[in-house]
Amino acid sequence: MEFEDAPRQHYSEKEKQEVFDGEFMPHIHSMYNFGYRLTLDRDDAKDLVQDTYLKAFRFIESFQKGTNAKAWLFRILKNSFINDYRKKSKEPSKVDYQEIETYYNSEEVDRQITPDLRVESLKDMIGDEISNALNSLDVDFRTVIILCDLEGFKYEEMAKILDIPIGTVRSRLHRARNLLKEKLKSYAQSMGYNKA
Amino acid sequence: MATTSNPFLQADGKKPTCMEMLQSILDGDATSDQKDYFKQHMDHCMPCYKEYNLDMAIKELLKAKCCGGSCPEDLVSQIKSKINSSAT
Ligand SMILES: [Zn+2]
Repeated sequence: MEFEDAPRQHYSEKEKQEVFDGEFMPHIHSMYNFGYRLTLDRDDAKDLVQDTYLKAFRFIESFQKGTNAKAWLFRILKNSFINDYRKKSKEPSKVDYQEIETYYNSEEVDRQITPDLRVESLKDMIGDEISNALNSLDVDFRTVIILCDLEGFKYEEMAKILDIPIGTVRSRLHRARNLLKEKLKSYAQSMGYNKA
Repeated sequence: MATTSNPFLQADGKKPTCMEMLQSILDGDATSDQKDYFKQHMDHCMPCYKEYNLDMAIKELLKAKCCGGSCPEDLVSQIKSKINSSAT
């Protein structure tokens, strides 16, 4: 459960409560949103977040006061999701990462494959289109978009949260953005934009 | 084309592609020098200009629409009570 190679901390009960209330609890709304975007179910999200906070409290001495609590919590939540939740659900991981690396490295995809989605058509997406598009992505792609675009994590933080190399974070983000654009493009088309 | 040195140049002297520059910007990894350089680059690279505007619009839309607001009201109290009952 350790995040950095931080030495084990020793906190009094009072200090534990202070760290928990002062450094962990402020992230509860982001955590809930992350949980919801992973499970796509509000009750499951609640369980996942509760479970994450209980674990965080149990392992609080592996957390060094004043360091990146948000990334630490996100990592616990992500691991709980994989180990406890995803195991129960039947959703298999559909992503072939070998394929992604090849895709990312090939020269001909240097120019985007979706040139005809336009900023103007996005302006009309005032409903749930973007949210639905995000939710429809495979969970591994969804996750990097959430971490980067919604939560503003840096490559290094994402690499630690997800236990993957920075290069993989980059290529996954790249692929995720393209997939999201494809979805948005088909929404835009079905809404009757992009015709002119 | 102004020839200020390219802050995207990698240690091995490899010149980054348009897509690589754009991705650094989008992913929030670019330094302010790199952002300035890319702004100038967009003045004479139409594909980057268009892609940048589209990608940033998507990013803004995501932030506006997918950040979910608050967690359920009872969640905080449930967590607190579980922790208090587990603490001796
Ligand atoms: Zn360019």
